[in-house]
Amino acid sequence: MKSIRRSLSLGLVAGLLVVALLLVQTSLWLFEAGLKRSLENDLREETEGLLIAMVKGPDGIRLDTQRLNPRYQRPFSGHYFRIELPDRTWRSRSLWDAVPAWPETSGLADDLLEGPQQQRLLAYRAVYRRDGQPIVISVAQDYTPILESFARVRLSGLGLVGVALLVFLLLQRYAMTLAFRPLERARQQIAQLQQGQRQQLDNQAPMELQPLVEQINRLLTQTEESLQRSRHALGNLGHALKTPLAVLGSLVQRDELRTHPQLQASLQEQLEQIRQRVSRELTRARLAGEVLPGAHFNCAVELPHLLDTLRMVHQRNLQLRWSAPSDCRLPWDREDMLELLGNLLDNACKWARSEVVLSIKPSAEGYRLRVDDDGPGIPANERAPVLERGVRLDERAEGHGLGLGIVRDILNAWGGTLSLQDSPLGGLRVEIELPGK
Amino acid sequence: MRLLLVEDNVPLADELIASLGRQGYAVDWLTDGRDADYQGSSEPYDLIILDLGLPGKPGLEVLRDWRARALPTPVLILTARGSWAERIEGLKAGADDYLTKPFHPDELLLRIQALLRRAHGLANQPLLQAGGLELDEARQCCRRNGEDIQLTAGEFRLLRYFMLHPGQLLSKSQLTEHLYDGESERDSNVIEVHVNRLRGKLGRELIETRRGQGYRFGASA
Repeated sequence: MKSIRRSLSLGLVAGLLVVALLLVQTSLWLFEAGLKRSLENDLREETEGLLIAMVKGPDGIRLDTQRLNPRYQRPFSGHYFRIELPDRTWRSRSLWDAVPAWPETSGLADDLLEGPQQQRLLAYRAVYRRDGQPIVISVAQDYTPILESFARVRLSGLGLVGVALLVFLLLQRYAMTLAFRPLERARQQIAQLQQGQRQQLDNQAPMELQPLVEQINRLLTQTEESLQRSRHALGNLGHALKTPLAVLGSLVQRDELRTHPQLQASLQEQLEQIRQRVSRELTRARLAGEVLPGAHFNCAVELPHLLDTLRMVHQRNLQLRWSAPSDCRLPWDREDMLELLGNLLDNACKWARSEVVLSIKPSAEGYRLRVDDDGPGIPANERAPVLERGVRLDERAEGHGLGLGIVRDILNAWGGTLSLQDSPLGGLRVEIELPGK
Repeated sequence: MRLLLVEDNVPLADELIASLGRQGYAVDWLTDGRDADYQGSSEPYDLIILDLGLPGKPGLEVLRDWRARALPTPVLILTARGSWAERIEGLKAGADDYLTKPFHPDELLLRIQALLRRAHGLANQPLLQAGGLELDEARQCCRRNGEDIQLTAGEFRLLRYFMLHPGQLLSKSQLTEHLYDGESERDSNVIEVHVNRLRGKLGRELIETRRGQGYRFGASA
């Protein structure tokens, strides 16, 4: 996932790195250029010293070794020369047997020469004239120590750059944490919204976030309102359809029709089909599914009422019990959850002899809901067909089927699963696994 | 047994009144929530069947107001609103039973029977039992010692009321109030005639007359 924090850090690091490297390298270049200029002076003076050491002897020009700097005598001392006259050449004794590729042009050589013992030489060539003959004097100096010290300087420069980068990054991280605090708060609030712990985002957001927060809140309100509107409209539609259906259901029982049993039977069958279709589709249409992020179901508030309602509807001496973690809030729409549990418990109450138990527990993935009864149960080998029937026949079979059909619709919307098991109470256990959010 | 039916759909109400009448219930019918609010608590009904989508005043509010005034009459909500959330709302408002439309006509009758028995503290049995008699409300006849005794509609109504109030002193005016709807002529002589016929069929000692006070059923049993 893309993170603003990470891309900001990356940008900053890349920028700083380029600038720092450019700075280090440029300053090294400038410094080296200055150093070379001063070395060039030294080397020219060196050639002049050598020129002075050229003295006129009885048989032409000769080199007065007395006047030579002793470093030219010590082998591989790092200071070398070559003096060329048209008819003869002198090499410094320090060169020993090395033959550097002396420069061909006057002035400071552009490239370093390969010297003895891996030395790299900075060379200078000057041309003088004495007694009408040209004297070419080349001097060279070992440049390796300077190269090494440059490498050291570059290394420590890079180290400094690294430390500076680290410091910058830490400072930037701190600044970003400060700047992102409202964003982090919004993120936490959205997580709470997802878990059903709040219905709206806090309106106290910084200027930059204010439109976003307001828009989210407006969307939440609108979604909730449109859900309520559509549920209300469905209620009206249901009323408009179901009341005439109730009238028809009563009319087909009339004595006039009893004389035509076949007609009565097929009318009843068709009415029953319409009735179940209407109930199923209207109930399905009422489901909120995952529309509302702030939806939640408060177990301790809702479950006692649901169980009271079931006791009222069933009018039998049933023990209905429930257990859930204290302060249990399930992150799903209240009406959907009531419909799910209502249908499951209703089924259990139909079959139970005396006891129905609902338990809600957090599980690894989310929540585990169990409905146990002490009724006849369903043998293991018949459970799969029952579940199948829940899918296929529930459009036709009332009772077990219709309830399970709605349960399935709800579970499909939530990504939950249902399984039938043996109950420790002796009857059937319906176990629902709901993935958390 | 006198019932109040509050239902704004005329065809359904017609059907219900006819079918309840066949079962020996005296039915008063109202369509408006405000009328129901008043009449439900001023007349001595044995049970009220209440629709929720009413003109004038929503059914749930009517029910809440009745319960706020401590009206003890059992109320059965008959509505198209079938979700569990809505059923819970009905229960919270004070309903004693909840039946969703469309319903099977027999289902409604069974629930009314059960609700009446529960309201009179009688155990939930398939047949109403009191004073050594069993009353089959579906066939409208009674049985004693395994022997069926046929009843007329008027006798059945009266016997059912007696059997729901065993051992209680019931005045003639109380009986007329609960056996006839608000529209019909109330003639206390009819009660006397029915009581005498029941005595003829079931034995004199079953219904005791307290002069100037009324009748008592099953006192000897």
